[in-house]
Amino acid sequence: MKTQFKIVLAAIFLWALTLNVVADGVIVITGETTHLIPISITGFTGEAESVLKFDLSVLGMEIKEPADYIISGKDDGRVEGSLTRAGMNRPIFLRAYAGGSTRSQAHAFANDIVKELRQTPPIFQTKIAFRLARGGPPEICVADFDGNNPVVLTHDRALVSSPSWLPGGRGLLYTSWMNGNTEIYEHNLATGARKVFAGYPGSSFSAEVSPDGQKVAMILSKSGSPNLYVCDIDGSHPKQLTHTREEDSCPCWSSDSREICFVCRSGRAVLQKISANGGEAVPVHVSGVYGNLTAPDWSPDGSKIAFTSGSGNFSICVMPAVGGEAEKLVAGEDPCWAPNSRTIIFTQRRNEKRVLCLLDVPTKHVKDVRQISGSCSEPSWAR
Amino acid sequence: MKNLNLFGVFIVSTALLASGCHRKPTSLTPIPGYDHPAVSQNPAEVSPSTPLPPENPVTSTLGVISEDHGKWNNLFDGPHNEDRDKFKADTVYFDFDKSAIKASEEGKLQDVAAYFKGNATDALIVEGNCDERGTEKYNLSLGERRALAVREYLANLGTDPQRIKTVTYGASKPVDPGHNEAAWSKNRRGDLVLVTPK
Repeated sequence: MKTQFKIVLAAIFLWALTLNVVADGVIVITGETTHLIPISITGFTGEAESVLKFDLSVLGMEIKEPADYIISGKDDGRVEGSLTRAGMNRPIFLRAYAGGSTRSQAHAFANDIVKELRQTPPIFQTKIAFRLARGGPPEICVADFDGNNPVVLTHDRALVSSPSWLPGGRGLLYTSWMNGNTEIYEHNLATGARKVFAGYPGSSFSAEVSPDGQKVAMILSKSGSPNLYVCDIDGSHPKQLTHTREEDSCPCWSSDSREICFVCRSGRAVLQKISANGGEAVPVHVSGVYGNLTAPDWSPDGSKIAFTSGSGNFSICVMPAVGGEAEKLVAGEDPCWAPNSRTIIFTQRRNEKRVLCLLDVPTKHVKDVRQISGSCSEPSWAR
Repeated sequence: MKNLNLFGVFIVSTALLASGCHRKPTSLTPIPGYDHPAVSQNPAEVSPSTPLPPENPVTSTLGVISEDHGKWNNLFDGPHNEDRDKFKADTVYFDFDKSAIKASEEGKLQDVAAYFKGNATDALIVEGNCDERGTEKYNLSLGERRALAVREYLANLGTDPQRIKTVTYGASKPVDPGHNEAAWSKNRRGDLVLVTPK
């Protein structure tokens, strides 16, 4: 019995030794760092190289000597690459990628690197939707998160705004004026079929789908005032949640789909929270920022709320979801969280047009989305 | 040279894997391709969703009932003309970030209300607009609140609210593209569009 115990102990000891060897090459970064990670990228060419540089920059890494991590590989035929900690002989991992385009293989490699170095869910193969204006009326556009492969979805030559993804990226809700009214439309991305999702007396706009895909929050004015409503995912059973005379706006959902954070007027525009089932709205205590607080977005992990402060000179701010001290991060408006709860896409006004930018919240590093000709605003990240 | 190094690493890594060492495996990661989303159909093919049963009417502070909108919407089914010039001089202007009807604008709305006393079959679209100093979704609500303020004011002067429809354009339809107070003050407005049966 005693001998058996010793053998088990010895086995555990040996196994732990092996683990140490594995752990040797892996640096686990706990918590959020505010520093850019210096890296080097060697061996890649053309598209693969530019995708890797862009993606890793978005997650707060920079090409800089001396590099903490060496990313090397090749892209002749397929993308192969390794991630190695500086000073180590053996790589943390070495992988080859098959199928898809060089671009998507490089995104997959970048996802694997970020998983090791930032411990966040992958975002480099996700989609965004936004409003695109090129001289004429705006249309809704869908693209890769980095602005590549843009597809203009609508061709209505009518005003359109506020795209919001349905779960699984299967479709979008957006506000359109194509019939002369302010109405919410549902657009199936697989078939292109569209229908009026909400077209009530007065105006219907600013739809946001709950993370569990069961409900939609929206603003309807049929009560005689722009108030917050919730309906089922098929548009049925609209329920009025707020009854203020002043306007309510900008609903967003908590990660558990139980609460809605929205904007109402209390002298100025302030943030409030309300149960999706109704009840009393409660103010969100925010300190450290002043003026109108609008366009909130709740992070998918539930921990933070990003919003826009100011009137004209807008700033992207982030605060704990329970309220408290807000941090002003960068000039811009309309923040929307990536599925990793770390990256934010937002809009900046520049030279008579608007551009989409990506913000790495812990490092405050900002990277422009690939420039699409025209004015891009109101980004929504599929998550 | 780097490629050669990599190749060497690849062999070592594979060898380690084959020998059962606890290294991360070198795997071939399949990449799913994505289909481009289909583009929209023509607007003409858009079908309205099934109408929902009306809720109990909710009364706002000034007593303009929600279902008024619904009844009025039916008047639009027939052919009609939209005249943007008739009430051009009566465009209602607002203070920054406010939706209250200013004293300076009341006379305009009294004229409009007087017109509808004599032309009870005509109707009105009120388009709420904002300047650029708000986020898009915030401006949609503010624009709608402004349009509703005009509707309420006219209703209180005796105009049938069933004949007044509101639309919000947020900051998407500025009359002056400038970035100064002179432009902004022109853009914070309610445009009044006269609708007459054809």
